[in-house]
Parts: sequence; structure tokens; C-alpha cells
Amino acid sequence: MYGIIDCDNCYVSCERVFRPDLKDKPVVVLSNNDGCVVARSNEAKALGIKAGTPYYQLAQQFPDNKIAVFSSNYELYGEMTARVIDIIRKEVPAYFRYSIDECFVYLDGLQHTDLKTWGEHLHRKIMQYVGMPVSIGLAPNKTLAKMASHFAKKYKGYRHCCLIDTDEKRIKALKLYPIEEVWGIGRRYAAKLQSMGIMAAYDFAMRDKDWLRLYFNNIVVQRTWLELNGHDCVPNEEMAKKKSICTSRSFRSMVSTLDELQTHVANYAARCAEELRMQHTVAASVAVFLNTNPFREDLAQYWNFQEQRLLTPTCSTSLIVQAANNVLKQLYRPGFQYKKAGVIVMEIGPNSPIQQDLFDYNAEQFQKMKRLDAVIDRINRLCGSETIVLGAQQCTPIGGKGKADVFANAIRHDFRSKNPTTRWSDIIKLH
Amino acid sequence: MGNIQIIRGVFDTQLELQDARVVAGFPSPADDYAHETLDFNRDYIRHPEASFYGKVEGMSMKDAGIFDGDRVIIDRAVEPHDGSIVVGFLNGDFTMKYLDLKHKNDGYIELKPANPDFPVFKITENDDFEVWGVVIHLIRTFEEV
Repeated sequence: MYGIIDCDNCYVSCERVFRPDLKDKPVVVLSNNDGCVVARSNEAKALGIKAGTPYYQLAQQFPDNKIAVFSSNYELYGEMTARVIDIIRKEVPAYFRYSIDECFVYLDGLQHTDLKTWGEHLHRKIMQYVGMPVSIGLAPNKTLAKMASHFAKKYKGYRHCCLIDTDEKRIKALKLYPIEEVWGIGRRYAAKLQSMGIMAAYDFAMRDKDWLRLYFNNIVVQRTWLELNGHDCVPNEEMAKKKSICTSRSFRSMVSTLDELQTHVANYAARCAEELRMQHTVAASVAVFLNTNPFREDLAQYWNFQEQRLLTPTCSTSLIVQAANNVLKQLYRPGFQYKKAGVIVMEIGPNSPIQQDLFDYNAEQFQKMKRLDAVIDRINRLCGSETIVLGAQQCTPIGGKGKADVFANAIRHDFRSKNPTTRWSDIIKLH
Repeated sequence: MGNIQIIRGVFDTQLELQDARVVAGFPSPADDYAHETLDFNRDYIRHPEASFYGKVEGMSMKDAGIFDGDRVIIDRAVEPHDGSIVVGFLNGDFTMKYLDLKHKNDGYIELKPANPDFPVFKITENDDFEVWGVVIHLIRTFEEV
């Protein structure tokens, strides 16, 4: 038996823990740079606010509504969801975190428990401990568990936990479930299936194997078909760790100088390196992409992508920043107004034993880098992220002298909440 | 006051070598009594996932020995009972008061300050009030770290 535990409107729920007055009110969280809506409370969804709505349109579209708006605060969301995972960890034989707000659990060994009651109890416990509402889906495989969690979220009657444990329940669920919502069916395949008259997950699951092979010669779609029919075949290790990590942002305003681009790219690269270390992995390839604003047809357009392989896979901030900088220098063309850049680290593997290149490897240097990164991570954890950064991660403020301003100040976050769980200066005030 | 016993605690994660001995020497007789170092976080924070910190502002709880500037540890996993010091959200602020459940059967509860200069809050079933967490420890710092 598998389960998936999914935080309801995760970012909004994190904000509400420290703003209980916003319970039952429309709340949205904006993307980095306060660009557009990335998370909505149920009340905001009911108003008709769509994900991706640009912030400046909110006031125009909803002039009569009081909508609480937050800048995204990943420091808070990261810490609160880590608490949720810690609670789950103690309740299950095995688990793996699938994303910031979803966690798969493996429940064999709990057979003697009434799983529905167990799930409802887990929901109540997470709600009480950290104030986070979750939806729990339980089923014989991950695809069906995902489906069950949607039902748990959608219908109050399930009391936050939906269990699919019989064929009867499975078929009922499949009939109610639109094909485009099925886990593993991408938008492209959903469109193809719909054009063939397949609307519900049930219509797809009922086709036979020959039909499947004829139209979908694709391992992921075939696995999904098997799982909908009750088999367990999506391997765990495939989603346990990310295969690539991408950090990218749109700039607040257009950027044209190499110097400023280098600062941004250095920060994205540093973020990737930090994430690699968090999951105890190293990357063998660093790529950078860069583009102008495609919506500004009046401006000259340019976009490019390039990667550089590393002789020795690494998770060191300075090495990854260095590599990203090299790639950027090759990509950069003067005379364009750039809107977005990003860093992707690829070919990710476990960090020991690292395959060393005989000519590149310098044991002493390697150990020093490792210790340096550990110290930087520790200080940034204790004193707030970006307390210590590389010189390359700092930018020159417009009209300023020298590289004084840190990157965080270059990102817009006008409505950012406090960090009561990660900074002593921000702990809640009691009157 | 009797004797004050000073207990040395280590507040950082440390790995202890059990049965550590130099090959040529004698084993330490203390090895048989090896015991883990006292650790406040390990022993006094029962629910780390449910624990939060708060900073006290004002003197509304002074008769309970809680002063302005003190820090408290709040545990959301603990069930509040009559007489608990609780944190709740009232009129747009977090507040810390004694919880009085004596009138629960009459349809209301009270949040009581520990200072006669402050008002008692009466909360009826119609009020949208929830206990946010229960205060389990008080931290007062005498020497800045």
C-alpha cells in the first residue's frame, strides 16, 4: 500500500499559521519578484483568481475584494514543510519526499491498522502540530494514491483521507477522474487521448494492451495504464532524487550588461550547488540559458543555451559558479535587453564515491572546498540565507560604488512575511 | 536555598566515542558508566516539530514571573487544560494568558492576565478563538551570549 500526503495550498497555509486572522479569507502568494500568483487559498480560487495572474492585474480584476497578498518566502515554506516531513517520518515504515509539498509513503507493515482511521489521525496530528492542512491518498500504487489524494482534497466527506483499497472503489474513482489529471499523463498525451474520445481515466484503463502498444509506444504511458489497472510498477528510485536542478528567474527590469548578468547567474548557480549538497549529490554538467523578452516584439531577440561538462562531478559552490560563469561568457552577446536567465545542473549522482578525473583531481583542494561549503551552509542556516556569499554573487547597485549589495536585495519582495521559525529576530511577539 | 548544583550541558550535537582507549594504556574505569551528556533540546523539547518560540512584550503576566523581553517555548502538541499558560490570537495579535476553563459549561472561557492592571478576556462559543499553543518553558537571559 502506498500513500501520498499533499499539503493543501502549501504556501498559503504556511503564511496562515502565523496569521490566524486570514483563516477563511482570500490569500495569494506571489512568485519571485512579485510577478504573478503562484498559490491561492480556496477562497481566492472561489473568487476566480487563476494561477499565474500577474500581480498588477489583481487590483484591476478584483477591485471590490480584500485579498491578502504575500511575496514568496521560501525560507518559511522550507522550514514548515520540513516539520511536516519529520512528523510523517515517525509514522511510516518508509517515505520519500516528492516535492516541497508532497511526500510519498510506503505502508506495508501497517496492514493490521485501519488505514482510513490512520490517515485521518495523521491529518489531525499535522494540523495540530504545525497548522498545516494535508490531503492523504492511500492506494495499492502511486498513480492511484495520487488520484485518491485529489478526492480527499475535493470532497469534505473524506475527512482529508481517501482510501482506494477495493476494485469497486478503484473503478468508481477512475470513472470520475478526468484523463488530463492523471499522474504521468502529460498535457500532450492528454490532448491525444481526448481527441480519441477518452475523457475519463476509466476510458483509458479499459483499452486493451494491443491498442496501448499501437498508439502509445511510451514506457511512462504504459506504466500509467498498468497502475490504473491496479498494478504497482512505477519504480521508487526514479523519483527519489531529482535528475536535474534548475534555478531561473525573470529579472525585475531588463538587464543588458555582462557584469549584472554574471551576478544573477552566480546566484542561481550557488542555489543549485546548495540544493545538491542538501540531497547529498553531485552534478557532472552545468548549463546556462539566457533570453530576451519574447513579448517585446519591438526589441531585438536572442536566446541561447549551452552546457559545460565538469571533469570531476561536484557540489561545490565556487566550482559550479565558476563553470556557470564560463558558459555565460560564451553565451553573452552585447546589445540585447535580457529578461531571464537560468542555471541547470545535470547528470546528478550520489556524492560518494565521486568518479575522479585523474588529471583534474586535487585531493587537498577538494577537501578544502568541501569544508568551506560546509561552513558556508552552516552560517547561512544559522544567520539566514545569503549571510555569506561569494564575491560573484554580489551586485553593484545602480549609482553605487563597489560590489556592496547582496543579491537578495535585488529581488523584489515587497510583501514578504517574517521568518518566526528560522530567525530569532522574527519570533512571534506575545502581548 | 540549599546548595546550587551546576550541571554542565552540551548544547551542540556531538558524537561521543564509547570505549575510547589508547592501545597501550589501560581502559578508563569510567567507560563502564558512559552515559549521554545532558541535552536540553533532547530532554525538554518533547515535540520538536510542534515547538515554536515567542517573545514577551509587556508585563501582563508579571505575577506569573514572566516579564517583558522574556522568551518562551510554545508546544502546539500539548493539550491545553484549565490553568495552562496559552498563546492565542486575539484582535489581530498573539497574546499569552492563563486559560480559565471553569465556566466552560456556562458557554464561555476566560483568558486571564497575571497582572491586576490588565483586563480579563471573556470568550464565548460565538467568538472565533483557538488556542494556538501551550507555553511549556520560559527562557530569561542574564548574560548576553
